[in-house]
Formats: sequence, C-alpha cells, structure tokens
Amino acid sequence: MSSPLGRVVATERRPNTPHEFHFWTALDSPVGIGTIVRVEGAQPVENQLPQIYGIVVEGFSYTDLQSPLHDVLGHDGSPAAASLAPTERAEIRLYTAAVLRQIPEEPLQPVPMGQVFLATDEDVAVALRMDGYLKEGSRTGIPIGIYRAGGTDAPIYLDADFLLGPEAAHLNITGVSGLATKTSAVEWLLQSIFTHFPPQKGSVAAVCFNVKGPDLCFLDQPGSIDERDRALYEKLGVPPKPFERTQYFAPYHSKGHALNTLRSNDALAHNLNPLTWGLHEVLQYAEVLLNKDDIDAKADALIDFIARNVVGQDFADQILSRPHRVQSFADLEAWFRDLLRGMEAKNAESWRTHHVATIRKVRNRLSNISTRCAGLVTDDGAVSDLPFGTFEDRTVYVIDVAGLEEDAQDLVFARVITKLREALEKRELGVNHVVVFVDELNKYAPNDGQDTYVRKMLLDIAERGRYLGLVLFGAQQFRSQVHRRVVGNAGSALYGRMDADELATPGYAVLSPATRTKLATLEKGQLMVRHPHFTQPVFVRFPRPAIMRGRDGAERFPQAATPTLDQAILRSLRALDSSVTLQWVQDTIGIHEEQAIIRARNATIRSRPSDVKSFFRSQLPALVVPAAARPRPAGVAIRGTPFDDPYGNE
Amino acid sequence: MGSTNVSRNPTTVPDADFRAVTRGVRAALGPAVHIQDAPATLEQLARADDPPRTARVRPLEGATFITRSVRGRPEPGFVAFLDGVQQSRVVTYVDGAPIVHGTAGAAVRERRDRRMRTWHHRVEHRVYAPRQHLPAEIWDRLAPFAPVDSSAPEGDDAPSSRHPFSTLERAVHLVQRHREELEQRLAERWCDHESRPLLVDGGISGSERVARARCVVGVVKSHRTLYAVDDEIGVVLRLGPAERTSVFLIEPKKRAPVASWYLRLRDASGREPTFGLVRVEVARDPSEDLTARADQVSRWLLAEGAPLALPDARWDRMAYGIRDSEEFLRAIT
Repeated sequence: MSSPLGRVVATERRPNTPHEFHFWTALDSPVGIGTIVRVEGAQPVENQLPQIYGIVVEGFSYTDLQSPLHDVLGHDGSPAAASLAPTERAEIRLYTAAVLRQIPEEPLQPVPMGQVFLATDEDVAVALRMDGYLKEGSRTGIPIGIYRAGGTDAPIYLDADFLLGPEAAHLNITGVSGLATKTSAVEWLLQSIFTHFPPQKGSVAAVCFNVKGPDLCFLDQPGSIDERDRALYEKLGVPPKPFERTQYFAPYHSKGHALNTLRSNDALAHNLNPLTWGLHEVLQYAEVLLNKDDIDAKADALIDFIARNVVGQDFADQILSRPHRVQSFADLEAWFRDLLRGMEAKNAESWRTHHVATIRKVRNRLSNISTRCAGLVTDDGAVSDLPFGTFEDRTVYVIDVAGLEEDAQDLVFARVITKLREALEKRELGVNHVVVFVDELNKYAPNDGQDTYVRKMLLDIAERGRYLGLVLFGAQQFRSQVHRRVVGNAGSALYGRMDADELATPGYAVLSPATRTKLATLEKGQLMVRHPHFTQPVFVRFPRPAIMRGRDGAERFPQAATPTLDQAILRSLRALDSSVTLQWVQDTIGIHEEQAIIRARNATIRSRPSDVKSFFRSQLPALVVPAAARPRPAGVAIRGTPFDDPYGNE
Repeated sequence: MGSTNVSRNPTTVPDADFRAVTRGVRAALGPAVHIQDAPATLEQLARADDPPRTARVRPLEGATFITRSVRGRPEPGFVAFLDGVQQSRVVTYVDGAPIVHGTAGAAVRERRDRRMRTWHHRVEHRVYAPRQHLPAEIWDRLAPFAPVDSSAPEGDDAPSSRHPFSTLERAVHLVQRHREELEQRLAERWCDHESRPLLVDGGISGSERVARARCVVGVVKSHRTLYAVDDEIGVVLRLGPAERTSVFLIEPKKRAPVASWYLRLRDASGREPTFGLVRVEVARDPSEDLTARADQVSRWLLAEGAPLALPDARWDRMAYGIRDSEEFLRAIT
C-alpha cells in the first residue's frame, strides 16, 4: 500500500461534514485543486472500515505568524533579509475536499479522521462511480480524458447512456475563444464516441455546423500530434487518426459558380456536396426567415394556402390569366404577378379571403428570400440535400454555413434539425443516434431577446431529443448567456479556460473560489468535466485531435480562386468524370445562357449519371437550329397610271 | 511508562495521559471521589519563583568584567534546538491531599534546509501522591499508577507539610525535575550521536556529560539570579545590541561548572533592562580561546534573531527554533 500523503483534521470551528472534509499534507505533496484522494477511516461502521473519496476544492497555506507586521519587524523591513534567516517558519498546507463517494454509502456520516492517500486508477473509478458502467459485458464508457495527479494517470469515462441517451443526454461546452478548446474537445470526443460507442447500442453519426472559419473543414485530414498526445490516445484506447468517413455540404456562392466554403480546394472535392433547396423546402420553414411582424395570422394563413394548394401542383383560378404550376421562386413570382394583376383588373380588395395588402406583403417577403439566401435557395427549385434516410454509422456530416448570411444560417439549422428529428421519430434516418454540434449557442439560443424559431427548435432538442437519439453538443463562450433550459438539459458539461467575468456570474457560485481560479487559468487541452455520475466536477486532460487544424488546412489546401463559369463547370463535372476537360466544357456550353448552364450542372451533380458528358449535354436547352434565309419575294410592279387619269402624266 | 518514543522508566505510568489517569483513579477509588473537571494546570495557577538575587562570579576572559562587542557578522551555526515542557494537574483530593498528574516532555528539533524536523522527542506521564498524608488503603489502590511520593523529603529538604499547597508545590517541583531529566537525557543522546551545535533552552550544568560537551550551548532567558555584583550589574544591564560581557565561570554547588556570558540580542532602548538579554552557557575548556568561542557562539545566537518568536511573550530572548520545539511539544502533550 502506498504511504499516506495527509491526515484528516477537523476543529469545532471548521468541522467535517458528510459532504466536505479537511486534511493537511507535507509541503512537497503532489496535492492540488482537483486532486482526488481516498480517506481510510479507523473506526468500523457496521463492521466495515469506511472509505471516503474526495476531490480537493480549496487549499490554504499559513504559518505560525500572528501578524504580517511581525515578519516585517523580524527582517527589519527588508525582504532580502528574510532570505538570510536561518529558519523557515512552520508552515501548513491545509486542503478542503468535497466528498465524491462514501463506502458504505449508508449510514451517511461526517467524514471521520483518518489517513489520506492519493487515489489510484481503481480509486478514481470507484470515486466517480465509473465502476458501474465499466463492467465487462455491459461496458458503456466513453473516454473523455485523463485525470492526472501525483503520478496517477487514470482514464475518465462518460457513460454513453447519459451522454447519448436515453438516461440523460446532450453536452455543453464552454470556454474562451481562441484557445481551440471547444472545437478540439468536440472533435476528440466524437472520435472517442465513434471508437467506444457500444455496438449493442446501435449506430451513431454526427452532424456538425461549421459556423465560422475553417475550424471543421478538414476533419478527414491528418494533423500533427506529439508523443504526449500519442500516449494519451494509447491510454484512452482511441486510434490517433482523422475521421474516416466524412461528408461535406455547402451552399453555392451567390453567383452559383462554386460552393461557398473554405474547403474548395480541388484535392478535397471528392466528398464535398452542394447544399441547395428549392421553394418547396424553404416554404415549410418560412417562419424562420420572416420576423414576428411579418408572420401575423393573416400572412401565415396565406403562406399555408400557397404551400398546400399552389406549390408543386397545377393551380388555376378564374382571376388568373392562365393555369400555373409553381416549382420555383421564379414561378411563384409569376403567380403573384398574375394574381395581383387579376385583382386590379376586377378592382377586387380580396381574393379567397386574403386581403390584397396581405398578398402584397407575403409576395414581398417571400420573393426576396431567394435573394437573401442566394446560393442556398435556388430559383429553379433544384434540391441537393443531406442524405436523410441513408445516414451511415460513424460518419460526420459537416454543413459549412460559415459563408451564409444569418437568415440563411437559421434556415439551415431549422430545416436540417427538423428533418433529423422527423427521420429519427420514424426510425428512418439510417442511424440510431445523431450528435448535432452547434457552436455559438449564445447566438442561436440566447437567454434573452425575442423567441426565434431556431431557439424553440434547440429547446425542443434539449428537452425531447434524448428519447429520439437526437443529441445536442452545444458550445459557446458565455454559458450564462445561453437559455437556461438548453444548458440545464445538458447532462454533461465541459469547461475549458473561462473568462473571469463569466466566472463571476451566479451560475458558477457552486464552484469553490479555488476551482474558479483554476478554471480561469486552465491550460490548452485541459477541461473540467461535469457528468451525472460525478458528484463533483473533475479536471481532465485530453489529447489534441489527430485532425488537421483549420488554420493549417487553409494553408495546406488553399481555397480555390473564384472560378469563371467554365472553370466552375469543369471542377464540378470532373469530380464525376475525370475525362472532362476545359476544352470540352467550353465547346459544350458554347453560347448557352449562364442560368441554363448552372441548372444543367446542378442536375448532373444531383443525378450522378454514369455518362456524365451525355447527361450534362442533355440538360442544356436546345438552341434554335440555324436555317437558310428565305429569298425575298420579288417586288410587284406598281400599277401604271390610267391613261385617262386627269392628274396623270402629261 | 506513559511515554512516546522513549525508553521505559519504572516510575511512570503506562499510556497514562490525564484522561486515562482520571478514569483509572475514579475506578480505583470509587465513585465517591470527586474528580476535578478540566482543571487548570498548576503551572498556570502560581509559580513560586525564587527571590531575585545576585551572585559573584570569577572572570575567565581577562581580569575585569567589561562590555565587549561581538566580532563578526551574525552567522547561523546551530543545527538543532532542544526544549522541554511540563504540565501538572490535580486529579482529585483525598482527605485534602492532592493527587497530581504530571506530564513532562522534551524534544530536539533539527534544522534541515531551513525547515524544522523532529530529531528525537520524549513525553512521559507520572502520578504524584503524598503517601504520608493518604490512608494506606488509598496508596495501595493507586499502585497501578506507580505514584511518585510527593511527601517524601528530597535531599536536604524538609518533608512537605500537610498543607495542600505545600504538597502541590512539591509535586510541581517534581514534574519540573522530571522535565529537566528528560531534557538532559535528550541532550546526552545528542552528544552521543552528534558533534554539530545544539542550542538548549536553559542552562546546561545539570548534566556533567552535557556541561562538558563542546556541541551544546545553553541559553538562559530568565534573570532571577544575576551573575554580577556591584558595578558589574551596570555592565550587564547597559549592554547594547550585539554586545556581550566578558566570559565568567559559574560553579553551582551541585552542578557542573560552565563558562558563561551575557549577550544582548536586541536593542533595549526605551524598554526594561533585561529586554533581549540572555545568558549563554558553554562547556569550560581551558585549552580554548574563550574570546573567539564566545564571539562565535554569540554570532550564532544573533543570527537566530529572525524569524521572531512572536507571539511568545519572551520573543525578545527566544530563538525561533526553541519556540518551534515548544510548539511541537504542546501539540503532542
């Protein structure tokens, strides 16, 4: 048995309780804030010697000095003289530990006096109740990192049942920006989940929204890690590799030539897919794009009417000049124009109970969606979407919305998450669990401000998602600014280095001042973990993800220059057929209109035909066949003047 | 012997701290005996100090008793500090005769890398009862505690009177003797194993072995007896900081002779005349340059001026190492 490193002490003024105790150590002991210790009681309770596990939450140091003035006087006011004193004053290291677990658990008693030992690997497992889910045969542990103290390197596991449901679910991560802790931690944890998620629990995939920069753009590319990281990977049983299966989705730039993503390098085009939606897809989520003033009951009723009765079907009405089949925003605009013209002609104030002002308002709001969400929403109704229904196990689906306007980002969140939820409800997604990673939660689910569709949707996931297998991994810089029900429903929480102002908010009052100080000074790669099985937060160290960092990726795979139309077509088609050349593209598209060419390109990408060239050519509209000019009809001689014309020639 | 880390002594009680003795005495004498409830220590109640006096001494350093400045800068020299503590409390009175529990302890704290660690310590408990003033039956019942007879005459002293105060004083005196005995045993042990300098709180003449050891220096902080007469008293009381008197010889009747001198550790301007004043005792070695030895030991003592031994009331004369030893003993007795 190892030698004790401390002794429990208690005084009347500072007694021990069932949840907290105090102990002292030698000055050179390896104990610090966050260290897990074991106390061995000397008096048996119900024939069992009690063992108490605790985590250090506060530390004190003091000497026998009664007043600081005594030290000043003792050294004649000269700090330099103090170092010459032959004796150091008697000094104490006194620690306060919060109880993690008591064995036996009943009767729950104040912590007894006893010797204090540094927790071993086994002690850590017992202290954090990990022994319950690390049993062979029913193991559901997901490694989150290494607890390290005084030579102990103990893996810390989260319980999959409490991370991905159904017992509890969701994870929230907080930390200051710029240290890459949040993104790195999520990348590492996803790798860990993909490696350790128990097969009997089913399949799992991840959907990540890349909301800024190139952070998530190179998840499939290897990054450099050092030997210490390798050792952590080995200890935690996770291969130090990038994600093997990734799919990227990004909308087009507004011109439609190329995808709007920092991952636009040709070398990475093989798993990059366009994300485009048409009128039908957008109209279901019009609420996302329209503010509260826009969507009063009348407008809502008209939008609903259009979605149900106009879009995607033949629609005729006596007020219209012709039957309409609305497939795209362009068609919808033509329908509105025809309707309003008809009402003006009949001097009608309303049509089918919808007032002309409401119709004009809805027309105005809907018709500019394709402008506001250019690149994502297509005028022609073309759809290129995530593979809902054929999601694959252990695959990361990254949706790059970093280049989109805020409205369009909201639309993407709303539709993707709703579709995921619908598919999971019907068990038709293709996987049993989906982790949705959303950064900047304080922007999408703020604690204050008006209720938005996105916030309602995130609240819905947070509160109901665990039953469906829809798990939210949210990240933000300021947890205090995120809606309480979103963070409150997160079963697990990770904290990287924190901002002092944030730590001063009431949400952190449960942490000791020393723990808060440690949080404010955490190194990169360190996290504080809260989990339903842990009665106190635990500090862990996790390895750097074996993934190319966004900044490195942006340098290694520079963004492709904005292509000309023919270059953009070449890039898109070459991903499907390597024999396509620029010359062939230029010859093929000839003098076709740009929109027609883009439509043909999009259709080819969607269809992925075996004969790319023929298919693309077939999608281009036929040009008018040149014909020989007909000869000009011969001129007819002007009739001559009657001979008896009195005004005729002389 | 009720002791910690010590050799056995037949006159001490096994594992007999005050509470254990209290329980034992109640069991031995029956419930009718009134046990004192958390009594104050006798050392706190009263101390029968000897009356102040002066004593003539023989100079060893020069012919006259003069003031000398300590040559050289203060420099640490001591590697260990020895101090002792005592505690005596009344367990009960039987027919007005006090039965006293006494604890004596001594410790040597060694300084390593500027930190204090225990080199060795002794703590012993004894029970003191006035056999002559107790019924024989009661004395017999106290036999398991191996009581020390606090009514027996000591040396040339007269037997203690039946006055309970007299018996108490005798008991306290015996506890004090016990403490001195432990201190001497520890000092002798140091001398047996070490040659590095040990600073002892108090005189060193109680043990022949210690009084002759070059590695031991005693520092006396109380000055009920001033080893100076006439003008010499003025020399002692007018000492300035880092000044000492000439070395002189102390030859107690029943103790070993030692060389001694007064040393002023701190500036006493505006304070009472013994502020910062200590009397140093070292082994008398006629072959040695006494001036050099006195200056060296004085430099060592001056170096112990920091850190201050506050909040001890005797901080002006006490080395921090001595206070540390005392605190250690207080914590374990």
